[in-house]
Amino acid sequence: MQPYLDRALSDSEYQEAEEHLADCSYCRKRYRFEATLRQYVRHAGAEMMDPALKAKLVALRTPLE
Amino acid sequence: MSETTPNDGRRLAQDARDRVRFEEEALELADQVYRVARRLVSTREEAEDLMQETYARAFRGWRGYTPGTNLRAWLLRILTNLNIDRGRRQQRTPDTQPLEEGDYFLYNRLEESGRDTNVDEERVIERLSQDDIVDALSAVPHDFRDVVVLVDIGDFSYADAAQILDIPVGTVMSRLHRGRRILKGELASKTAVEA
Repeated sequence: MQPYLDRALSDSEYQEAEEHLADCSYCRKRYRFEATLRQYVRHAGAEMMDPALKAKLVALRTPLE
Repeated sequence: MSETTPNDGRRLAQDARDRVRFEEEALELADQVYRVARRLVSTREEAEDLMQETYARAFRGWRGYTPGTNLRAWLLRILTNLNIDRGRRQQRTPDTQPLEEGDYFLYNRLEESGRDTNVDEERVIERLSQDDIVDALSAVPHDFRDVVVLVDIGDFSYADAAQILDIPVGTVMSRLHRGRRILKGELASKTAVEA
């Protein structure tokens, strides 16, 4: 399931997985759950940078001569 | 002071243009790099220090970047190496072994609580707060966490993550699998409080 979720399967493996999911409701539920969790982690784990930090990074640039 | 020939002058000007463009592209990626950096370390202060060190090094070594290749991965490689050099002072070793049923544990627990409260599993996920997720992630041992953060938050492919961390793709996959299992186990224990 994991490589399927990560889109890391070959075309033929992907095809097999899709066919299985079409028939198996348990796996479909698990897939939906995993995908939702993955999405949630991505959003919840994302944090914005402090603008003051951005300014400090800009200040690191090599000064133009 | 030696004279520069017209050719030298042109080269220097082109060099400066290339460098400026590199710096601008790198700065445009800062938010995305930070998003990953913040989840690799424990505190905001550490993340900010890491970002400054990374960008200072990136700007100094800009010629080491091949234009057209993945700049975000290049920057994160510098960052993860710096993080390793710092000795990972915030290491946490797991005191419990991840449950073998880890993959199903959270799913089953959420399914159970779903049955009790008549709520969709997905809604139960949504009840987890941002702090829950952040706490759970920081409880994952760093070797596994690095991979989970790069793939699940940074959205990198297995191959890119492998290059960033300088480990084989197979190791990426096994650490990812294990890391996600541990993460789910941590999240499950947080939902237990509500159930």
